[in-house]
Amino acid sequence: MSAKIKNIILVVLCAVFLFSFPIWGLIKPDAEISKSERRPLQKIPVVSVENIMSGKFMTDFESYTLDHFPMRDNFRTLKSYTAFYAFRQQDNNDIYIAEGYASKLEYPLNKDSASHATDRFRYVYDTYLEGNTGNIYLSIVPDKNFFLAEKNGYLSIDYNALISQVTEDMPYAQYIDITNKLDIADYYTTDSHWKQEEIIPVAQHLAENMGVTLKSEYTQEKVDTPFYGVYAGQSALPLKPDTITILKNDYTENYKVYDFETDSYIPVYDKEKLNGNDPYEIYLAGPKSLLVIENPQAETDKELIIFRDSFTSSLAPLLCEGYAKVTLVDIRYLSPEMLSHFITFDKQDVLFMYSTSVLNNSVTIK
Amino acid sequence: MLFSSIPFLFYFLPIVILLYFAVPNKFRNAVLLLSSLFFYGWGEPRFLFFMIISIIQGYVFGLLIEKHKGTKRSKVFLTASVVLSLGLLGYCKYADFFIENFNVLTGLSVPLLGIALPIGISFYTFQILSYAVDVYRGDVPAQRNFITLAAYIAMFPQLIAGPIVRYSDVAKQLENRTHSFEKASEGIRRFVIGFSKKILLANTLGELVATFKASDDKSVLFYWLYALAYMLHVYFDFSGYSDMAIGLGKIFGFDFMENFNYPYISGSITEFWRRWHMSLGSWFRDYLYIPMGGNRVSTPRWLFNILVVWMATGFWHGAAWNFVLWGLMFAVLLTIEKLFLMKGLKKLKVLNHIYVLFFVCFSFVLFDSLSISEAAQSMGAMLGAGKIPLMSAETLYYLKSYSVLLIAGIVGATPLCPALVKKVQKTNWGAVIVNIAEPLVLLTLLVVCTAYLIDGSFNPFLYFRF
Repeated sequence: MSAKIKNIILVVLCAVFLFSFPIWGLIKPDAEISKSERRPLQKIPVVSVENIMSGKFMTDFESYTLDHFPMRDNFRTLKSYTAFYAFRQQDNNDIYIAEGYASKLEYPLNKDSASHATDRFRYVYDTYLEGNTGNIYLSIVPDKNFFLAEKNGYLSIDYNALISQVTEDMPYAQYIDITNKLDIADYYTTDSHWKQEEIIPVAQHLAENMGVTLKSEYTQEKVDTPFYGVYAGQSALPLKPDTITILKNDYTENYKVYDFETDSYIPVYDKEKLNGNDPYEIYLAGPKSLLVIENPQAETDKELIIFRDSFTSSLAPLLCEGYAKVTLVDIRYLSPEMLSHFITFDKQDVLFMYSTSVLNNSVTIK
Repeated sequence: MLFSSIPFLFYFLPIVILLYFAVPNKFRNAVLLLSSLFFYGWGEPRFLFFMIISIIQGYVFGLLIEKHKGTKRSKVFLTASVVLSLGLLGYCKYADFFIENFNVLTGLSVPLLGIALPIGISFYTFQILSYAVDVYRGDVPAQRNFITLAAYIAMFPQLIAGPIVRYSDVAKQLENRTHSFEKASEGIRRFVIGFSKKILLANTLGELVATFKASDDKSVLFYWLYALAYMLHVYFDFSGYSDMAIGLGKIFGFDFMENFNYPYISGSITEFWRRWHMSLGSWFRDYLYIPMGGNRVSTPRWLFNILVVWMATGFWHGAAWNFVLWGLMFAVLLTIEKLFLMKGLKKLKVLNHIYVLFFVCFSFVLFDSLSISEAAQSMGAMLGAGKIPLMSAETLYYLKSYSVLLIAGIVGATPLCPALVKKVQKTNWGAVIVNIAEPLVLLTLLVVCTAYLIDGSFNPFLYFRF
């Protein structure tokens, strides 16, 4: 091939690439959301003198072109492959793959964040719990990095230091260690959460330490929808989906779950959520500020209040067997200052249950 | 607008190329001017005002300087143009620096002006200055066509990051230039290489620099890793932008001067500055150093000239003392070389390169620091005076994670790859293989860089502040 032909080929190839994608972008309909990233996409910005003079139009237009670029997810996958396999980078946008599990680097240890969390828990204790409740417990859910990071050469926080700091800051709560009841196989490969079918020992251990017994057996129901967890989208790699399994028995079938946000009863397992952005929301309908699970078949009148994050969504249906009523409070969505409007603190047991990743990034805790 | 952005690459550039080649030759400068003003106004529309004022004064004074050539008035008009150019630059870029220092010296609290720096003002101001001086010297005739001069000053390929293209170098091309597949292909090749340097190397190594700065777990090794990453980041960022500018220039029929020539292989600091930001170095040589007498003066005056030129070079890079000190550091090194070291350095084969890389590395740590005390702290830490561990788990993690990129950066900063390609091309089959592989490799790089742009938001451009 002569240099002349080479020049022509180069110009034509690049021209086709540079001209075809904007035309394709203009023709193809704009998507509303990115399923892989679980976020709404930038809408085409409004042209106005104010927007142009302030530079907002230009910034939004750039976001718009990035969000709606044809084959966007394929390009993100190509970037991931390049970072991992060509440049041999350990992580891509902080996501790494080890032992077949995708996880997000949790580093460094943020002591201020843990302090913020325990300050807010202290506020809850001082305002509502001191003298008004039964037993107060604390349990910390290890994130996947606890089992994966250090062992595989990835940056890892000092989990012992984090747990020590939180337990020392909460002397009013009895700490229940669940780390030895878990291993990496108890978590989804593509998501940050644990699998409900694997955490029965955790529920039993917690129950035992809180003075209740969980006796019943469960039947497992695997849902058909493939579960691409949060890291599947973030990694942009073609990871195999997980399977969501829900645990059922007479108790769970008869729970009544009241959602204060919608002022209505919702199912324990909301299968409609399987079609949404995050199928993990099947458990107690996902992020909810305040839920009450009533257990009509309870053999006790004991009640439990759990201050929690999303890990508890799949755990609470198992724990509830041992209580007449479990109240789930997520103070990332409901300010602790508002709690007295919704909850009467009257000798219930209280469990603070948070994951290490939320404790280390607690800015969302109100 | 940045070259390394989707709006530029997939919207602005294709439309401008279509328009440019669709109109007759005589309207092409107008297309370039309008598209350049759009390009410039995209980021900060209000800065267009500064640019248009600069263009108008350059045009008017150019004509007046020529009209009154040989008279005192010519010098007055040149002075007026220089004062206006430097005044605008000083107002936008240096006013707050002087006010801050005035406040420190006097204890007063004169309020700062808080003026945002118009993008590329240092570059286009120097272009206008060189134009006015060249017209005054009679090196070039004044441009009578306003659109042609405005297209030269505002031309988007070199507007925001250089190279500092002198009017004298492109005057003929502004009037008459040729376009061909060969030149377009050459331009695309250069653009894609620059684009890849910027996106794949500069931006990713910039992430390592940002990671280092955010880390609370610094070690001696991490400081050195940062210094190496920053050295490569600056080089690939700036030389990548220059490559893109030169490549775009070629697509539109221009030949801009080279700006970088593998500076990190230099055997002396003198050589380094002949290879680094060559358009700025030669600008200061021709418009400041030589007019001051250059080296054809007494030794004290010569040393003074060097000091002034390098202080100005440092100050051009930013309105802060670390930049001034950065320039002065090179003034000292260059003086020592010229007076004592040069002959010895030429005899060395390895140590001279280590000497250059050592001082350049430290100079960029100073360059990157927010204050002189921060620079001193970083340099101290690199030399083991920081009371920090030799290495840490975090350092080793990032060393491992960026090792391929660092090696690619080090190799890419030498002429090894082009030399290898040339060698292969000289064989019978090699030329064929290179001809087949080149379009495919360049297209692959373009696609991968696009993937990086789409995936990432880390895309700042370092030289914006200049």
